[in-house]
Amino acid sequence: MDDLIETGIQAALRAGARYADVRAIAPLRYEHLAVRNGEASALTSSVRSGVGVRARTDRAWGFATAAELTRDAARSSGQLAARLAKAASRSVDRPLALTSDRSVRGGVYETSLTVDPFEVPRDQKVELLVRAEKALHVESAVKTGHASYEAWEERKWFGNSEGSSYRSRIVHVGAGVEATAIENGNVQQRSAPNSFGGDYRQGGWEFIESLGLPERSPEVGREAVALLHARRCPTGSTTLVLGSSQLALQVHESVGHATELDRILAMEAGYAGTSFLTPKDLGRLKYGSLLMNIVADATEPGGLGTFGWDDEGVPARRTPIVRRGRLVGALTSRETAARIGLRHSGATSRAEGFHRTPLIRMTNVDLQPGDHSFPELVEGVRDGVYLETNRSWSIDDRRLNFQFGTEAGFRIRKGEVAELVRNPLYAGMTPEFWASMDAVGNRSTWHLWGVPNCGKGQPGQTARVGHGAPMARFRRVAVRGG
Amino acid sequence: MASSTGPALEQLLSQLPQDVAADVRLVEQRWGTMRFANGVIHQPHLERSRDVSLRVLTDGRLGTATTSDLSLGGIAALIASAVATARVAPREPRFPGFPSPDGDRARGVAFSEATARLSPEDQVLLAQGALEGAESAAPGSRVSGVVNVGSEQLTVANTSGRRGTTRRSVIQSSVLVERPEARPPVSGWSESAHWRADRLDPEELGRAAAARMPRDPPEPAKPGLYRTVLLGSAVSDLLYMLGYLGFGGHAEEEGWSCLKRHRGEALFPKILTLEDDARTPATLPQSIDFEGLAKRTTPLVSEGVVGEAVTDLVTAARLGRSPSGHGLPPEAPFGEWGPIPTRVLMKPGAASVEDLVRDTRQGILVTRLHYVRVVDPGKSVITGMTRDGTYRIEHGEVAAPIRNLRFTESILRVLRGLEAVGKARGCFADERGFSVVTCPPILSRSFRFTSSTLF
Repeated sequence: MDDLIETGIQAALRAGARYADVRAIAPLRYEHLAVRNGEASALTSSVRSGVGVRARTDRAWGFATAAELTRDAARSSGQLAARLAKAASRSVDRPLALTSDRSVRGGVYETSLTVDPFEVPRDQKVELLVRAEKALHVESAVKTGHASYEAWEERKWFGNSEGSSYRSRIVHVGAGVEATAIENGNVQQRSAPNSFGGDYRQGGWEFIESLGLPERSPEVGREAVALLHARRCPTGSTTLVLGSSQLALQVHESVGHATELDRILAMEAGYAGTSFLTPKDLGRLKYGSLLMNIVADATEPGGLGTFGWDDEGVPARRTPIVRRGRLVGALTSRETAARIGLRHSGATSRAEGFHRTPLIRMTNVDLQPGDHSFPELVEGVRDGVYLETNRSWSIDDRRLNFQFGTEAGFRIRKGEVAELVRNPLYAGMTPEFWASMDAVGNRSTWHLWGVPNCGKGQPGQTARVGHGAPMARFRRVAVRGG
Repeated sequence: MASSTGPALEQLLSQLPQDVAADVRLVEQRWGTMRFANGVIHQPHLERSRDVSLRVLTDGRLGTATTSDLSLGGIAALIASAVATARVAPREPRFPGFPSPDGDRARGVAFSEATARLSPEDQVLLAQGALEGAESAAPGSRVSGVVNVGSEQLTVANTSGRRGTTRRSVIQSSVLVERPEARPPVSGWSESAHWRADRLDPEELGRAAAARMPRDPPEPAKPGLYRTVLLGSAVSDLLYMLGYLGFGGHAEEEGWSCLKRHRGEALFPKILTLEDDARTPATLPQSIDFEGLAKRTTPLVSEGVVGEAVTDLVTAARLGRSPSGHGLPPEAPFGEWGPIPTRVLMKPGAASVEDLVRDTRQGILVTRLHYVRVVDPGKSVITGMTRDGTYRIEHGEVAAPIRNLRFTESILRVLRGLEAVGKARGCFADERGFSVVTCPPILSRSFRFTSSTLF
């Protein structure tokens, strides 16, 4: 494989590039097993291998890729990438610089796991899903049960023209159950441990077993049915307590994406949008209350955003993003960090596979825990709502105006969690919302979630990222029933 | 275009175990994506790939596997993997097997060899044209966008003898022009797609995006219910979501389709006619679906009357119908989505955009929607933001730009309130032309905006 990597690099340099990096994926394996109402749903295993070469002239990038693992494919991709970079250079009148980051030579990173999920017999996996899905159907109002499992294995070789090289094997797994109850056009959904596929982790089959899906399913089914008859969530400005998985998504949308430096520098403007932040805000802007502490940590054990080196060969690191409510850092790459005068990249440059160019992606962007238990978060609330498990999410193209819906809500009355309410929505503006956070849950409320579906870039890339989040309490939030 | 099957697929089918039936897809793609931002081409991308997707049926059970490894060993591993998956799958008792070649013959569709063969340098020139068009119309503004060009050949074969091939050529481009230094910032947008590169002019898109950018600072606007003119890009988002929520096979089968209770009902005004037609040159044409069935015109809404949901082999069997030719690749994630209309066309009316505005005493004009997500599928309630050119309409004229608004609204309610349909249709597609909506602007008497943002 080293020979193939070197072939790609040399081809790009000979074709006029000043820098080149090559990623060979051999292979990316993916397994998806799902059961829907007792029937198989797109049971799939896939294998994809190939090479991607990124070339840089003094002024522009070019990227080319082929779904083959041969020296010819590496050579032609290197040549094409350089040819493209040269053509693109004509539109650019300023130099393209990169940070000088410590190189790695012969690095090795491997996911730590106990049971390799690809070695577990498929019948064992399907049997687990069949049991979990069947247990969702506690009442006839549960019209659809769905249980799913996914696993990815990526074996990657990286090298660049500065002499960096490493190889890695990263394994991600995840699973979940979901019940949909329907009555007279009223559609209610409940899932566990999270919506949109469940929870995910870097690790092995032992994580799937730890989820206890068949045991959780009956309660999921019962709650979906209960939502059919629950009252609509009340409308008004109120105290909001968010569950951990919903707060993880709040962090993702209103902090993670907003602090991506490529968005801040308008490199994503034409598609996903930009950010309300500017480079001048670093170290200055008040993002939220003093209780708000956020880090981007690619060294966190088990996170979907954990790795040895990023796709520019920069070692994984832990970067403070918000400290005591103040913006202190951003998610950066070698190019973007250099553009704002930073000496080093924050090592957040990742690509979906060999066939995509590296972009700034979240690693594990975590809200640090505070010191309140869940009962303590609720006990001071005379009238409010507790919301959990995401159902819908949307935010404007500068990451300011957001609206989230959750699967379930509960009234809080006189310091206690009370009745279930349906179709809850809450909305706000990012800095005001985070400034209203007046209590943060402790470690017992904190969970490291895996989010497998973060979209960005053109052509589109899906990243798997991590978010550690506790529960937390927010004051004077606009809440309503959809 | 003659229908043929790659020798690799014939060889693959011949290697299947005797008790196994199957269908197989070979997808060969070449794409270029010239992405620009801050006035320069910053992420140019070239991509070549060949992937095989195999679905097997054995003992009433289905399993799927895909690979990019077309070597003998890779194909053997693919078969072993798909069969192993099928052997442990729950039974699919209603699945009728794979269709024979009888009956529907796929008609040839439009394809542009010149578009498929466009060189990397020519693609870069197209992106430069978009930059120059925008710069000439709005000097000093910040310009971003993309030009996607490429082609895909899909070959499908099955053990019942069906063979089919279709080729797609695509150019898709969008341009964003901004003045980020304005307080609040302003922006304008333009996008289009075509199957012929010489019929889409990125330079003109650049000029159009610049023209859409407000000259005055956007004013705050109060959320509420407004008569609203939605330009084509915004309409395409609504229709795409309606395809999934109202005409998707899984939604129908599982009972959460927002249109399940309205089939055959005159739910919408007569001026609304929607169909799914993959063969017309008004879309990005393809002649067969991913199960090898010939594409044909499928009525979705006929003069206001709601039609049936679309199906593939599996959902048709579960619903007791004939498949409508909307099979997506059977593997995840497509297999989990189920069949959806991917070539939606809205029948044009007679009104110009000016007419739509003239018919509105007080309302809002929306260029484009952003981050559209489902809030309540059973009621077709979605949320999202307006973006890149939102205006107040007063007394039949576009009065002033306004800050962007969040909407939380039922698609059915918007379309039931349809008052006029524009005459000029645009073609709106994703970056690879997988899903396409061809539609004009519309005027609806009812669109609910629920909050506003700062720009």
